Amino acid sequence: MASPSLKPNEAVSLPDPLREAVGHLLLAMADDEVLLGHRDAEWVGHAPILEADIAMASIAQDEIGHAVLWYSMLQALGWPDPDRMAYFRDPPEFRNATLVELPRGDWAFTVVRQFLFDYAEKVRLEALIDSAYPPLAAAATKVRREETYHLMHSRAWVLRLGDATEESHRRMQAALEQAWPHALGLFEPAPGEDLRVAAGIQPPEAELRVRWKAEVRPILEAASLKIPEAEPAYGGRIGRHTEHLAALLADFQMVARSGMGETW
Amino acid sequence: MIAYRIRGHPVPVPEQAPPPQGGPEYEARLAEFEARIARGEKIEPTDWMPEEYRQQLIRMISQHAHSEIVGMLPEGKWIPHAPTLRRKLILIAKVQDEGGHGQLLYRAAETLGISREEMIEALLAGKAKYSVVFNYPTPTWADVAAIGLLIDGAAVVNQLMLAQGSYGPYARAMKRICYEESFHIKQGYDAFVALATGTPAQRQMMQEAVNRWWYPALMLFGPSDRDSVHTPMLLRWRIKTKTNDQLRQEFVDQYAPMVLRLGLTIPDPNLRYDPETGHWHFSEPDWEEFWRVIRGDGPCNAERMAARRRAHEEGRWVREALAAKAAQQTNGERNGRHAVAGL
Amino acid sequence: MADTQWPVYEVFLQEKRGDPHVHVGAVHAPDPEMALILAKEQFARRGRCASLWVVPAAAIYASQAEEAEELFASALEKEYREPRGFRVTERVRRWMERHGQSLPEAE
Repeated sequence: MASPSLKPNEAVSLPDPLREAVGHLLLAMADDEVLLGHRDAEWVGHAPILEADIAMASIAQDEIGHAVLWYSMLQALGWPDPDRMAYFRDPPEFRNATLVELPRGDWAFTVVRQFLFDYAEKVRLEALIDSAYPPLAAAATKVRREETYHLMHSRAWVLRLGDATEESHRRMQAALEQAWPHALGLFEPAPGEDLRVAAGIQPPEAELRVRWKAEVRPILEAASLKIPEAEPAYGGRIGRHTEHLAALLADFQMVARSGMGETW
Repeated sequence: MIAYRIRGHPVPVPEQAPPPQGGPEYEARLAEFEARIARGEKIEPTDWMPEEYRQQLIRMISQHAHSEIVGMLPEGKWIPHAPTLRRKLILIAKVQDEGGHGQLLYRAAETLGISREEMIEALLAGKAKYSVVFNYPTPTWADVAAIGLLIDGAAVVNQLMLAQGSYGPYARAMKRICYEESFHIKQGYDAFVALATGTPAQRQMMQEAVNRWWYPALMLFGPSDRDSVHTPMLLRWRIKTKTNDQLRQEFVDQYAPMVLRLGLTIPDPNLRYDPETGHWHFSEPDWEEFWRVIRGDGPCNAERMAARRRAHEEGRWVREALAAKAAQQTNGERNGRHAVAGL
Repeated sequence: MADTQWPVYEVFLQEKRGDPHVHVGAVHAPDPEMALILAKEQFARRGRCASLWVVPAAAIYASQAEEAEELFASALEKEYREPRGFRVTERVRRWMERHGQSLPEAE
């Protein structure tokens, strides 16, 4: 299934089937980030200690900021504007992995989820830096810089909580059991993968998953955590979600969809 | 000495409290301490200071810190519902700053010999006070804008004054805080204007929020001078450099016009501008309500304290785990990849 | 009561290359790496930071206020090590006058 390869100056105007395929990728990335940022922000005012509260608020802002970036690129390709995308779609239209819609849980779950996501984002961004679609390559380069802090932060928490006390270990292991299948869902291909791979937009998700496992495994092992044997929880990339997404979006979209006004 | 006018009556600056008694050495030290303050110099943590100075500061700074932390909740509640991605980001950043300010203030209080654990325990046990304003509910999105304009506006008026205070760590923390507050005012006013100039429904929602938050903003400055037992001592030792009523007047003068110029009203029938003095006449808040709420009987005290207690308890295993982990580490086993500042 | 708020690390921030590190405050952290991670967000989340140091508060030795005045003040003037303690210009001028030298135009 050959597609014309892109030249560097074919910036924003993509031939149609490829445009849609790139859009599906951006949509998945944007929806992942906006919902994860939303979940992270639920900790503001409730974190275990003040300094952690402040740090988590930055993580949340970064994720939402990334979402705005990916939604903006989508808009450049013909999709509605970012607020329209975030606030006026219903659950089946969202293409996030189910990992990010799950409730925040306890601090262990949030830490494990963030860790698995941050390393998935790392391998994805590193691959996209070489994307044949120049705007995506440029954006990935920029976002990758912000990830440095996220990786430092996630890794530090996992390595400490993983085996500090009996309670922390128990909670972290339980969190990993719950999160792992959904984390695999981060690598469920969004529609149009074959087109994207052939055009050099991205390597296959399966390859990204291999790289990701190689990154997270040693850290989880060093934290005395056992990676579960589990089937991936797929469906998010084609709009099949858990019941949590509807509840999340009801909160998220409540004021925007109240009909009170269009600008805020 | 006439300082300013409220409701057409001149209000004198309260007399400064006489110094407390002690032996000759105490008197000498006290004289030196007060001379330093009179010269406009700062008092630092290892300086000799009268016990009352230390205790007043611990009380005041910790109350200020508690207010910032509890204050994260009424606004934080609206982060999940923020109606645009930009407003969501702004609100997260703003509430984050409040946490950051609490952190700075707790640290300033710690320099006076009290631990953060002690201060937090006192708050959660209901033994410590914090600003009444954070015991009021935020039933709509417009309450976020009202807080952003009126409460942050009041806080800035207060904080600019506190940044001139005599205790070094508190003054330094306040300077940092004042710098970040300029963002808070901007975003508050922006959100307020967006609603006040929006659809009729948005405008009405904004008006109702102003009605709810005007008097709490006035309450932020504390009791009236005539009822403020601490003020004379705080003035003498330049912990404060203006009185509650002076600051309240400053706030009304600055913020009443901002609300009125957009055609919204303020729920005070006595509010009017006096061109002779250049000040606004206004009604004081309901002081009975003020004292009731400060004693823990406000609409949201119980709920917010419960939320803070829950967060503190649910986070205990985390704090203990990281402390245990650090204790486990020996020099040779550090996981960290930080560089020691090789000089 | 058991203190679960973690020990204190003082934070020093260098705004840009070439600047000294300045004390900006402190964080509660369980260990040095976490102290850096948490200090970054508390003190450098708005950028303007080229380098960050964290130091356990317990490692800092500080002069005491009581002794400071005596410790840091000189009773006897040590003018000899201040730039203003030298009166060279006058001496040069007198020598030049005596020896009929004059200043080159450019000076």
